[in-house]
Amino acid sequence: MLLEHYSHSIMIDRNLCTGCVICTLACPVQAIRVRDGKADVVKSNQCIDCGECLRVCPHQAVRSMTTKRQDLTGYKALAALPSPVIYAQFGDMHTPNDVLLALKGVGFDYVFDLAVNCEMVFIAIDEYLRRNAAPRPMISNFCPPIARMILKSYPNLVPNILPIEVPRETAAKTARRRIAEDRGIAPEDVGVFHITPCAAKVVSIMRPVGVDKSNLDGAIAIRDLYVPIKNALNNIGEVEDEWILQKSSGVGISWAIGRGSVRGLPNRRTLSVTGVKDVIRILDDVDAGRVEGIDYLELSICPGGCVGGPLVVENKHVATSRIEDLIEQYGVRSRVDTRKVVRQFEQTYLLSSSRFHAQAPEPLDTDLRRALEKMSRIEELTSMLPGKQCGACGAPSCRDLAEDIVRGNATPSDCVFIRVKELEDACAGHRDGAES
Amino acid sequence: MAIEDPVLFRRVFKITGGDFQNAGSVSKEIKKALKQLNTDAEVIWRAMIVSYEAEMNVVLYARECEMTLEISQSGIHLVFDDRGPGIPDVGLAMTEGYSTATREMRERGFGAGLGLPNIKKTSDHLEVVSTVGFGTRLDIRLMFPAAVSKAA
Ligand code: SF4
Ligand code: SF4
Repeated sequence: MLLEHYSHSIMIDRNLCTGCVICTLACPVQAIRVRDGKADVVKSNQCIDCGECLRVCPHQAVRSMTTKRQDLTGYKALAALPSPVIYAQFGDMHTPNDVLLALKGVGFDYVFDLAVNCEMVFIAIDEYLRRNAAPRPMISNFCPPIARMILKSYPNLVPNILPIEVPRETAAKTARRRIAEDRGIAPEDVGVFHITPCAAKVVSIMRPVGVDKSNLDGAIAIRDLYVPIKNALNNIGEVEDEWILQKSSGVGISWAIGRGSVRGLPNRRTLSVTGVKDVIRILDDVDAGRVEGIDYLELSICPGGCVGGPLVVENKHVATSRIEDLIEQYGVRSRVDTRKVVRQFEQTYLLSSSRFHAQAPEPLDTDLRRALEKMSRIEELTSMLPGKQCGACGAPSCRDLAEDIVRGNATPSDCVFIRVKELEDACAGHRDGAES
Repeated sequence: MAIEDPVLFRRVFKITGGDFQNAGSVSKEIKKALKQLNTDAEVIWRAMIVSYEAEMNVVLYARECEMTLEISQSGIHLVFDDRGPGIPDVGLAMTEGYSTATREMRERGFGAGLGLPNIKKTSDHLEVVSTVGFGTRLDIRLMFPAAVSKAA
């Protein structure tokens, strides 16, 4: 599938951007350039929505394109499906159920414990692995940047992407149907929103990879709901039985942290890798066949898993410890009926409707000879540039500037060192001219 | 090669023996370079595999190595020229099974460590020249699919 009108999870506010190149240097796929003093995601089809730029910008100029509270209008009923990460945001005093109730108090008519769907997905993964002996390892596709990265850079690993639907999508599908029936309203009048630790979900909802259409209407940043939830938490009194919204065990809650799968798939050889650099490293190894004996590889682009998402409030280490406490407290015995999940699996309800296709990067030139000439030119320019990797030209490295020049998007005098030299030469020429 | 096939791109890399920190970085650079071409994913993958194997040989056994990547319209040419212990019996090193490959890697057709047979299998041409106490030179070629079909 071609991603037409590919929109992004982030936007750079030109008024706040100082052109400091911090995001440019941080982007793992070198998609950002500073041009005319402002940063811009110029290589937008390279962006994998990892949120690294969002994380590092010291001027709050990088914004997530998440749904804002004021945009929740025009629905007859609102439903929230919060990432289990939310349970770790409000300290030890508040139970997951309190947090879900508080979320209801913030203005959602329905709140669902997404961790239950996470538990179902673990069973579905196990079932998938049982029925399909190859390829190995299967690679999780729940963190949106991972699938994007594989499609763009690891075409050989496309068949390894696990074709299980992400929990938020199955949950949204069920929620929408149930609420519409419950209220006697049209399914499209129900607003179903994911409460998210990252902006990446926004793109997976608006421009899903592989899936035809998302079941969600949008995603709201955890940090945008932090204050209202915190206030609402103060007003929660005794919780009555019918108010028990939290239905998951520790298995589902473990979804929030890396190594969650180790708990969810006790009988499988699993590996969990988090953080963009380590993810790239392991994908390189898997691509080259250097990873042996692993059934399932769980990858998260954020360090430490979703608790390390860019749109959370709590420190990721504190949050991890809180999640670990909750896992212990709620136990590692799944509360989900395995047989029911297997039935759903057989009815393909839990299989993703995705069809993944590798996306070849844009070649330097479609003609091999011309492309090779351009590559040689890039080499030549790279050796001419000072090699200080300072970023002052607005490109993340001297080699990237060389490539931009060859692609016609920059000039050698964008390099400050070259420009100073040019000016000096011009001055010298001027002086020489004046003397003679 | 009878038809004229000039080298259109050349880049030289240095590999240092024992530098595990950067092991694999040259094969990564090669992959990155090849991805800028409008070429078949399979040949890129094979180039990455053989260069990684050869690079690891250097890191594990040699002191230093100059590696030259050359690309022409017909294919990729990799030369690993190392200063190191050399291989006493190239014939033996080229025999199948003389490698420390894992089972799965062998199933996929390549190995780790001194995986010369695997480099041979994964590439279209391999030539090994080694002098004990001096060093080893690997000359590896991979053909672009279009070039192969034209030649056939
Ligand atoms: S989201 Fe990630 S990939 Fe996209 S521009 Fe920002 S840092 Fe680069
Ligand atoms: S690790 Fe989790 S929070 Fe981070 S980008 Fe992936 S899905 Fe989002």
